[in-house]
Amino acid sequence: MAAFLSFILAHQGDAADPELIHWIKERLDQLFGLGPWAVVVVMGLIIVSTPLFVVVVYLLQAKRRSAAEASPDQEG
Amino acid sequence: MQSTEKTKKPIYHGWYVCAAAVFIGFAAVGARNSFGVFVVPMSEEFGWSRFTISVAAALGVLVNGVSQPFMGRIFDHTGGRKLMLFSLLVVGCATAMLALTFHILYLAFMFGIVVSMAQAGSANTNTSALLSRWFKRRRATAISINSATISLGGMVMVPFSMYLLQATTWRIAWIGLGMIVLSALPLAYLFLHERPEQRGLYPDGDPAPSKDIPNGRGRPATGPLEAERWQDSFRTAPIWQMAGSYFVCGTTTFVLSVHFIPFAIEDRGISGSSAAFIFGYMMFLNIFGALGAGLLSDKLGGTKNWLALAYFMRGIAYIVLLTVDSVAGLWIFASIAGFSWVATPVLTSSLTADVYGLKALGTISGITFMFHQFGGFGSVLLAGLLFDITGSYTLPFALVGALLFPAAISAFSIKERKYSIRYQTPISTAAAAGD
Repeated sequence: MAAFLSFILAHQGDAADPELIHWIKERLDQLFGLGPWAVVVVMGLIIVSTPLFVVVVYLLQAKRRSAAEASPDQEG
Repeated sequence: MQSTEKTKKPIYHGWYVCAAAVFIGFAAVGARNSFGVFVVPMSEEFGWSRFTISVAAALGVLVNGVSQPFMGRIFDHTGGRKLMLFSLLVVGCATAMLALTFHILYLAFMFGIVVSMAQAGSANTNTSALLSRWFKRRRATAISINSATISLGGMVMVPFSMYLLQATTWRIAWIGLGMIVLSALPLAYLFLHERPEQRGLYPDGDPAPSKDIPNGRGRPATGPLEAERWQDSFRTAPIWQMAGSYFVCGTTTFVLSVHFIPFAIEDRGISGSSAAFIFGYMMFLNIFGALGAGLLSDKLGGTKNWLALAYFMRGIAYIVLLTVDSVAGLWIFASIAGFSWVATPVLTSSLTADVYGLKALGTISGITFMFHQFGGFGSVLLAGLLFDITGSYTLPFALVGALLFPAAISAFSIKERKYSIRYQTPISTAAAAGD
């Protein structure tokens, strides 16, 4: 039972396999060559900027949307 | 000038719904998958054994799986928007509150019950059901994008959690993860709307249906098995054909997620980092497999054929894994299996919506997903047991791998042409060619 529970723990999800995580971290260390704080800031900014990017695209499309609403055609 | 204006159409709102669903999956699933990263620091601080902390994780897996149909029912009754906003709020706050952990019971309650149950509300089954309302012709494509980026989320959020932990403490890292989940709230609030009709749109951003065309888009299409209540689906064959093959999907993916790396190290004699590299390569191919399955299903039709092909391919991959006793065998296995890994959930979700309609889709998808999770649990237990008895992974892998061929037959025998909404009206000429 303990072994089974440990398996679940080690495999919460496919990407969370401990060997795989270790390998990814090694590659990222090689790639960035930076300290943990720098990686946290870079990755954090990328993650948080994703929803902001979607909102910006939505706002930039405001003109086209109002033009489409005025015409009988639907959005494409 | 007029033609230029006409070509510059705005992005269909359904794609914003898709983007919001993708980020929700990315953040919520990624944060939950990061639990493993916190095991060592939390165990060291509180003096917990591996077994003790495993109880919280195991409870979480069980609660999440069993909650899916209930969350699906709430989705069908109250709507996806309210459910997902509430779910995200609870997952974000509860993740941050893991920073206050002082006892194993607190961890078991907060992670194993609160986070895991709430996460089922914004799970892939519900976001896929929501996307099914917004897309008809490009349904599988939208679901595939949603599913593929959840894989990517796990690959990004878990290493991010490791660095966050390295830079700070486990308490601050939990708060950081909670904040990331909460950052999905504004996006969800802005873009998650129930149906295109609420915004004066039609699925896929298509033009208003012409009432002059007989039997065409002017008449709302319903399939013969359109389910008003989830119980209705239980009296029909496709739900059992899909749930049965989905059960096999769970058995064949969970067992490899757990045992592939030990198998590669112990049975094939390669290093842990090489095994991890091959497994990572397979997970990377997931993304292309999911996207490819969605695109092919929408462009060429015949969703059940692609589903059957995915199970058949995975069956072949298992044969290669067991018969080619070399590192090359592992690479061939990863190349074939990688494409089928996330393709099956995409195609199953899309086919479920096409056959049973949208009214009880959340509950029906939740039930089929529960079969998937039960299959996964059973296979992990069985593989562990058989490994202890035989000292090898050959028998458990052969047993679960053999199930893939009946699963392929089960998927292939679904009468899609008879039951799918795609074949009730001429939604797409190309789609009709695939059955």
